[in-house]
Amino acid sequence: MSGGTFAVLGLFSDAHKIVDAAKQIRPRQLGRLEAYTPYPVHGLDRAIGLGPSRLGRLVMLMGVIGAGLALLFEGWVSAVDYPLITSGKALFSWQAFVPVMFEVTVLFATFTAGLAMLFTLNKLPFFGHPVLHSKAIKDITRDKLALSIEASSAGFDAEAARQALLDSGAESVETVPVPTWERPLTLLGLLRTIAAIVAACVVAGAGLFAAEKLIAVVPPMVRIHNQPKLNAFRESSFFPGGRGMRPAVAGTVARGHLPPAFSTPEEAGILLSNPFPLTQAIAERGRRVFNDHCAICHGLVGNGMPLLSRAYGGKPGNFLSNEIRARPDGHYFGVLMLGKNAMPSYAADLDEDDRWAAVHYIRILQRAQNAKDEDLR
Amino acid sequence: MKVATASLPEALRPMELLQGRVTPGSLDDQVLQFPAQRPSRAWYAALAVTVTAFVIGAFCIGWTLYWGIGTWGNNRPVAWGFGIINFVFWIGIGHAGTLISAILFLLRARWRNAIARFAEAMTIFAVICAAIFPVLHTGRPWFAYWLFPYPNERSIWVNFRSPLIWDVFAVSTYFSVSLIYWYLGLVPDFASLRDRTAEGWRKRIYTVLSLGWRGAASHWIHYDKAYLLLAGLATGLVVSVHSVVSFDFAVSLVPGWHMTIFPPYFVAGAIFAGFAMVVLGLTVVRKTMNLSNLITDNHLDVMNKLILAMSCIMGYAYVMEGGTAWYSANPYIQHTFKNYISGFYGWAGLTTITCNIIIPQVFWFRRMRRSIPAMIFVALAVTLGMWMERFVIIVISLHQDYLPSSWHRYFPTKIDFGVLLGSFGLFFTLVLLFARVLPVIATSEMKASLPSETGGPL
Repeated sequence: MSGGTFAVLGLFSDAHKIVDAAKQIRPRQLGRLEAYTPYPVHGLDRAIGLGPSRLGRLVMLMGVIGAGLALLFEGWVSAVDYPLITSGKALFSWQAFVPVMFEVTVLFATFTAGLAMLFTLNKLPFFGHPVLHSKAIKDITRDKLALSIEASSAGFDAEAARQALLDSGAESVETVPVPTWERPLTLLGLLRTIAAIVAACVVAGAGLFAAEKLIAVVPPMVRIHNQPKLNAFRESSFFPGGRGMRPAVAGTVARGHLPPAFSTPEEAGILLSNPFPLTQAIAERGRRVFNDHCAICHGLVGNGMPLLSRAYGGKPGNFLSNEIRARPDGHYFGVLMLGKNAMPSYAADLDEDDRWAAVHYIRILQRAQNAKDEDLR
Repeated sequence: MKVATASLPEALRPMELLQGRVTPGSLDDQVLQFPAQRPSRAWYAALAVTVTAFVIGAFCIGWTLYWGIGTWGNNRPVAWGFGIINFVFWIGIGHAGTLISAILFLLRARWRNAIARFAEAMTIFAVICAAIFPVLHTGRPWFAYWLFPYPNERSIWVNFRSPLIWDVFAVSTYFSVSLIYWYLGLVPDFASLRDRTAEGWRKRIYTVLSLGWRGAASHWIHYDKAYLLLAGLATGLVVSVHSVVSFDFAVSLVPGWHMTIFPPYFVAGAIFAGFAMVVLGLTVVRKTMNLSNLITDNHLDVMNKLILAMSCIMGYAYVMEGGTAWYSANPYIQHTFKNYISGFYGWAGLTTITCNIIIPQVFWFRRMRRSIPAMIFVALAVTLGMWMERFVIIVISLHQDYLPSSWHRYFPTKIDFGVLLGSFGLFFTLVLLFARVLPVIATSEMKASLPSETGGPL
């Protein structure tokens, strides 16, 4: 850099003149040409050798990404993660997703066009540019147009650039020196910024937490909890018994929980038989019930030897043993209801259908673990 | 250029958009002087009025928050009431700004340059006012974030097949886009303000807001492109936002709402109301800030022509609606439309028709289009009429629908009126503050369109 010159600025008042000047100076290759103007001057960009903006492609790309993401998100929410039937429409009813897709497209494209343009393509904010500290900047953002020949190589001749600008009709010429500024981004500054962001997050989080906890107990909000209705176990003088809820009539039976007509598993074995034919669906259901409730003690294949029992002791029944295999379906059902030895009753956890499904699955396991020759054909 | 146009017959000559000699420098001196000045007494007086209105509204909002929306007049079946009337009204006001800044930009209507900034600012303030109402109307505004789809501990999602969620997306997108568009236009003006302000805290603020803009040609090419793209994108928004708002109505089965004409009808009404508000604001601004050489009678004339055109479209929409009701042969819809002009609330429908269709017809006369009192009167009438139109659509349609045993009249409460007053207070407070600290005219855009002899564009 000769003498620390960043650029030589020539000021013009008329847009035609600056374009003509740029056309004259450009072939002489005195340095990189740039212009600083208070408003966009059409033709000046081409005159100093700038191509068209590539922003359009970027915005197009981001718009398409926005539309795609919106469609994927709406489809995933509506058809996969939270399938909710509305007005009998298909779960993935893309027609209904169009308005939000459109809005997200516009949002992505706008953020790209507006903010990516400023921050990425134009590399703003930037407060340290030499021209901002020139004397001419006051006129540049007001009514003067500046053509600038910027030092782009070691051979930059400031005097020649000055003369060229004056020759091509510049009203005045200013030499802008390379400013001496410190690096704006220091490690300490970076650490401080991160610390400030963390502190702001902590303060905001604590504030929100406090607000959320407090809001529920200050006067207007508590009324949401104190509604003029009777909760099940609230005190009430309306019904005898002093409770908000009426007790169920004696002998009430919950659905799927008929009291058993037997008192021992052996009796159940004689009285009951599996009402469900073996189908793929009932087998799947049985597997789910078995794996959720039985496998923890009886093992995934029903051999009574899972890791838990080995570590913990106890002797859960081995469904594969000849003795247990010989028992009728009803017996298994009875054990599930009444419990046996250390095994508690599963009457409250599993309804009748679940129990029969589990019995089917146990039969499947027994057959699978004792496969005969013809089973394998 | 000038010589060539002077020989044309008067009807073909381009409109005079400036009075007297305006240069880029004199433009800056005129428009950018206000932030550095002490505001006038009239400004303080106006601010006192608007802030008072806003404080009353803030009190009513606080009252609503404390006691719940039982303090409003909403009932069953009129569950929407003022909350949604005011929301639709304010969102509509915003549309003029976007139309002026986007569609008229694409159409190269040069007269928009002088008024675009003011109209865009009104858009942003109107959307802020609009946002108050649905948020309060949810009943528990502190859970307003539930409106957005976010992963939550309840493992539930919003319903993307509901127009209400489309509305959330449309309005929040509209606000974000308007804000970015507005800010983008302001950046070069912030640079001008930065360089004409003396050292001090004001200069620091303008420096930060200008992002160090230096008007480089390599920046302007991207800036120009971005402005053009944003205009195209915002054009879609002008049409889409109020269409989506109208879906809230049209997708339901309420008689009087379930109509295919609703989206274009709402968009036209929004632009209509917005233009009236812009005219109202501009007449005040050009007078008090001495900008009548930049915002000329010609500008107001064109605006008033647009109001007239929109008024005719509204008239057509009203007739079409009535025609649809008649042709439907559906007694419920016909009953609702009879109610619009003759029932208990018939006066509201008649006011709507008078203010929106009949009064703007005075703008067929050139003298009326250029008379300040006439245009203020029409603008006020249109503002009232468009508010009444939403009252008609919401209250009259809801208060008597299919089931006569559920019919119920609706009476707004003092709190309802207080919140509405507060939204007007907020809107005009923001407009006054805007006129005080930011350039009300986009100077860089104006400079680019100044006549060539003064050193302007190519």
